[in-house]
Amino acid sequence: MRYGGIIFAAIGLTCWPQVVFGSVDISQLISAAKAGDTVLVPTGVYRGEIRIDKPLKLIGVGRPTLDGGGNGDIITITAPDVEIRGFRICGTGIDLDKENCAIRVNAARVTIVDNILDDVLFGIDLKESPDSVIRGNHIGGKVLDVARRGDGLRLWRADRTIVEDNEIHNGRDAILWYSTDVIVRNNKSHDGRYGFHLMFSNGVTIEKNDLFDNSVGVYLMYSSKLKLIGNRMLRNRGPSGYGLGLKETDDFLVQGNIFVGNCVGIYIDGSPFATPDSGRITENTISANDTGVEFLPAVKGNHLWSNSFVDNFEQIAILGRGELTGNEFDRDERGNFWSDYPGYDRDGDGVGEANYESRLLFENLTAREPSLRLFMFSPIHQAVEFIARAVPAVRPEPKFTDYYPLIEPPIEHGAELGSSTSLVMVALSAGLLSIATAVLGIVFFSPIRDAMRERRFIAVI
Amino acid sequence: MHNVVQSDLKSGGLVGRVETVAVVAVSHHGRLRVPSFASNVFRIAARELRESARSRWFLLYTAAFVALGLGVSYVSAASSGGSGLSGFGRTTAGLINLVILVVPLMALSAGAGSIASDRERGMLAYMLAQPITRLELLLGKFTGLAAVLLTSICLGFGVCAAILAWKGSRTDPVALASLVGLTFLLAMSMLGTGLMISVATRKSSVAMGVAIFSWLTLVFVSDLGLMAGAVALRMRIENLFALSLVNPMQVFKMWALVSSDTSLDVLGPAGLYATDIWGAGVTWIFACVMVLWIILPLTVAASIFSRRSPI
Repeated sequence: MRYGGIIFAAIGLTCWPQVVFGSVDISQLISAAKAGDTVLVPTGVYRGEIRIDKPLKLIGVGRPTLDGGGNGDIITITAPDVEIRGFRICGTGIDLDKENCAIRVNAARVTIVDNILDDVLFGIDLKESPDSVIRGNHIGGKVLDVARRGDGLRLWRADRTIVEDNEIHNGRDAILWYSTDVIVRNNKSHDGRYGFHLMFSNGVTIEKNDLFDNSVGVYLMYSSKLKLIGNRMLRNRGPSGYGLGLKETDDFLVQGNIFVGNCVGIYIDGSPFATPDSGRITENTISANDTGVEFLPAVKGNHLWSNSFVDNFEQIAILGRGELTGNEFDRDERGNFWSDYPGYDRDGDGVGEANYESRLLFENLTAREPSLRLFMFSPIHQAVEFIARAVPAVRPEPKFTDYYPLIEPPIEHGAELGSSTSLVMVALSAGLLSIATAVLGIVFFSPIRDAMRERRFIAVI
Repeated sequence: MHNVVQSDLKSGGLVGRVETVAVVAVSHHGRLRVPSFASNVFRIAARELRESARSRWFLLYTAAFVALGLGVSYVSAASSGGSGLSGFGRTTAGLINLVILVVPLMALSAGAGSIASDRERGMLAYMLAQPITRLELLLGKFTGLAAVLLTSICLGFGVCAAILAWKGSRTDPVALASLVGLTFLLAMSMLGTGLMISVATRKSSVAMGVAIFSWLTLVFVSDLGLMAGAVALRMRIENLFALSLVNPMQVFKMWALVSSDTSLDVLGPAGLYATDIWGAGVTWIFACVMVLWIILPLTVAASIFSRRSPI
């Protein structure tokens, strides 16, 4: 890197910190700079589109604001090796056809670090930009109807890019198109459509991200050689609310993730697709989802072992009718932990002696007639299951069998989600108990009783 | 000061000396003071409360409710290992189920037992001989029994909340508080129904039988019928949802789900339909149904009661 000609915007600096809008023309600074220069931009509010057509470092000092004023794009990068750091960038247009964008990149090896993007249609749009770095940015989309939003982050043929420590919210997707060997790490994504969305992107690693309150946490489509490790997918809900969706994806490892409170924890549609037996799902905690794992019929080649299925309303579902015979629920004589497993462990090896079979009549009925889900949580739900146990003739065939159900959860997850004695709960308890005590006290000890006795109003002695 | 009337009452095997004060009292100035509607209702309510709080059914049901609530909250808090994974889940689902099973049974049998047994013992004729109206008597009974039910509901949920707080469960206290409120509404609607049964029957055993039959119908039979109907008649989801609104147990359940920030889409297509069509306004529908279920049985009870002989 050359630091030969650092151009410091002297005009701006003399006025600092009361930089007047327009006191520095960033475009002029850029055109005055040579390739490899570092351009420092002082704090202030700048308008107008910025085009960077030579390798430069554009660095904001004191977080200057680049305001698009609600029109068009804001920064366009057409040269490789550009770095953008330390800006606040806001107010793109809302034209979905033109894909109005805060930082548009059409070159390789760009570095976009520590920027705050606010009220943007598209946030960062990389096209044909391999080996880039997107780190520590905050990307807030426009709060529009989902159909009118743009992508917070989009990678198109941006191989080997690193996306880490970003927070992306209120956008449509953070989407990877045709980008191989990308690393997505330590990001937060919430209140969008798909937290991370992979299309035809192979060899991607997605780890330690937090994906919550989206429609889908991570949706993997038409990709292969994927690793999804140590992420948390929480409360991804809606008509297709999945923690993780897998569509025609091959050779994936889903390990050590937490899926809590989603409509569906993991949704498996045609995966694995071309490589048989290449789906591996292990050491995940799948808890308090409406459905733990949902399979489309005829899905096969997945191995699920050492996962914890805790208190999902339906642990495993098959959409429509079908069997899960092509999928394995154990490996090396270790199955999964099921919170509703009724068996026990006689020989102390951690594996229950009886098989775990999912043959609940109510689930079977709702699979055939989804409208019957209306009766979930009613006593009739339990009554139907009771009847199924008492009258084996009406008991459905098992959907699947775990031959080696685990007695204890293999991995304790969720401690970091916090469990705290809530003071409000204590107060609620105290309040309720004191209401009860007060009523009983009034009845047996209080002035009312004396008053009643004194007035001798209807008192049976 | 007070105009004391003593009388011996011998009826239905009960022999007792009943001290009573006519509700008509003479004031210091020697003028006749007619007690107000509210004070009469309050006196009947206080008497009912005291009677019930001593009675076996109250102790039994309260003990059962507290024990089951304790069990549900302990098991659900323990199963998630205090790991904070529970949220809405087993705890709330378990409590909803428990409430639907136990509380209507409590309320129906309390209501059904009250006036019918008074009639059997001859108490009813006696009380109506006092200068109170039948409406005052009925409302007094309702208020007193509602206070009794409130007591056992608060005891049950208070213990639940204590367990959840102790175990560090992440169940939302606000959701639990609203569950308590909804439970009380459900209890009042079933209490009104119980009183309606009570004034319409002569014997307390018959009243109790009808009450238990009604409980069975509302909790199991109607749902089972609706499930069968939905499958056999290929019922449209809007009809299915509308029909389920007739049953206060279903309304309670759906309202409890909504109030604990759980979208009705948990309940499949019918729930999705309700969310799509009504949105947040679905709560108002639930509220209307509940209020109707409290007012209508009471009105019917009052009109039957006003026309029937007290003996």
